[in-house]
Amino acid sequence: MLEISGIRKTFNPGTVNEVRALQGVDINIDDGSFVIVLGMNGSGKSTLLNAVAGSFFVDEGRISIAGHNVTRWPEHKRASLIGRVFQNPFSGTAPNMSIAENFALAARRGQPRGFGWALSPHLMGPLRERIASLKMGLEDRLDNAIGSLSGGQRQALTLLMATWLKPKLLLLDEHTAALDPKSADQVITLSDEVVRRDRLTTLMVTHSMQQAVSLGDRIIMMHRGRVLHDIRGAEKKRLRPEDLLDRFDEIRRREQLDDSAATMLRELYV
Amino acid sequence: MTLLLGALTIGLILSLLAMGVLVSFRIFSIPDITTDGSITFGAAIAATMLVNGVNPVLATLAGAAGGALAGALTGIIHTKFNINSLLAGILVMTALYSVNLHVMGRSNVPLMQAETFSTYSESIGHTIFAGPEINVLGWPVNSADAAMLLLALAGAVVGGILLFAFFRTNIGTAMRATGDNPQMIRALGANVEGYIILGLALSNGLVALSGALLAQYQGFADAQMGIGMIVWGLASVIIGEALTGTRSLGLTIVGAIMGSVLFRLLVAIALRWGLNPNDLKLITALFVFAALVLPGFIAKLKRRKPAAA
Repeated sequence: MLEISGIRKTFNPGTVNEVRALQGVDINIDDGSFVIVLGMNGSGKSTLLNAVAGSFFVDEGRISIAGHNVTRWPEHKRASLIGRVFQNPFSGTAPNMSIAENFALAARRGQPRGFGWALSPHLMGPLRERIASLKMGLEDRLDNAIGSLSGGQRQALTLLMATWLKPKLLLLDEHTAALDPKSADQVITLSDEVVRRDRLTTLMVTHSMQQAVSLGDRIIMMHRGRVLHDIRGAEKKRLRPEDLLDRFDEIRRREQLDDSAATMLRELYV
Repeated sequence: MTLLLGALTIGLILSLLAMGVLVSFRIFSIPDITTDGSITFGAAIAATMLVNGVNPVLATLAGAAGGALAGALTGIIHTKFNINSLLAGILVMTALYSVNLHVMGRSNVPLMQAETFSTYSESIGHTIFAGPEINVLGWPVNSADAAMLLLALAGAVVGGILLFAFFRTNIGTAMRATGDNPQMIRALGANVEGYIILGLALSNGLVALSGALLAQYQGFADAQMGIGMIVWGLASVIIGEALTGTRSLGLTIVGAIMGSVLFRLLVAIALRWGLNPNDLKLITALFVFAALVLPGFIAKLKRRKPAAA
């Protein structure tokens, strides 16, 4: 479904701000697989998601989604294959437009938009029903501006919008990180429901060990722009949060060792 | 009465300009100064064609199309060459000044001899009002002027309805979203740059349409007629928002039309009371400045008061 081979990305190359965000990443993800991407700050996990979404072009390597080589596709063209929820709850919706209008936009994701009425009756029926299923009482407020809603509500709606047309690939970029714990739980439960029901191929970045353990069928741990661990199958099922913390500690120890070794070498030879 | 009629007619004709500015300024937050060039461009194209005996409807539409092209050009310079939108507008406006002189062949084209919407309104007026003069609330009114007012009203209403309808279509909704949250609409598969180009074309098309009609009403097209028109448009939009609010799209468009008419009336009254016409642009600019600054200032005062109490 998603094939990533040998992608590299360096930001601000040749300057003091040079960041080698991705240093050769290879990932193959099967159809219907729910993959959690973990990593510390600056490990390249969000960069990976943005590379797949097309926010920038990679320097090297190839990305293909559902058999299409999308490496050189601009972001808006890739949107025909990808549904996306951002970390910032304000990013995924148009605040001054109504709930219904936002969904009308999502209902034509990646399709030509003609001169048909945006709020057509055959959109409004299913829309009311689907939003009622959220049990947030929003089905009577479809004409309200989406900017008047809370972050949790907006993120839940963004998730529904991203999956309104079943995407080949769903990208969730720390989409609960900016929410209060209760809203975060709601959005996570909803995400799990939607992904399972539609058997969506999903790539989800998170900071939460708990989410990483309880969701999905595969964990990819990133470190310094590379894939460090790839945990799946029975091993993923057995995994406990402590195991993940151990692996992070291991990374940290290795980092310290690197630093202290470098210091020692410098003292000895410089 | 003639003064009132004239102010209303010009206000309605310029409401198309106000709608154009509504699109560029309120949807894309671009103060698009191409407006100053494209209103003249629309007038110049229409006037030149009319002098050469082209049908007024056709000439007016050609003027609008010219403005749309100019707007698209500003959009392309802004999005494809990454030039600041204001600067892109300035470039196109400046270039249009020469283009307009070339189109007209001189700096002023009179339309006295040509068949225009004004001559249409004369014959329409004579037919529907049965005579050269009619009586409105005891005032004698030239029936041609009355017919012209009706034509302008029809133009403003039809323009407003079409714009409203456009914004309710899939493509129009996506255009509004482009201004509201480009990141979101890009993730939903819309080519943001394309929509900006299309939006500026629509905006300047409306502006040029307004210019083509204005030239026919006042009986000439002039190379200088566009100066400061963007500020006129902004003033109309801002007055309209004060009248109808911004909560609903339909009301905002109605507001732009009302704002344009009201502003023109105020100006006519001020001139009647002896305002020096040379000060008009200065006062317009001061007005728009005040209208842009005051709401924030008042909000600040309101916030301070409870703290002091």
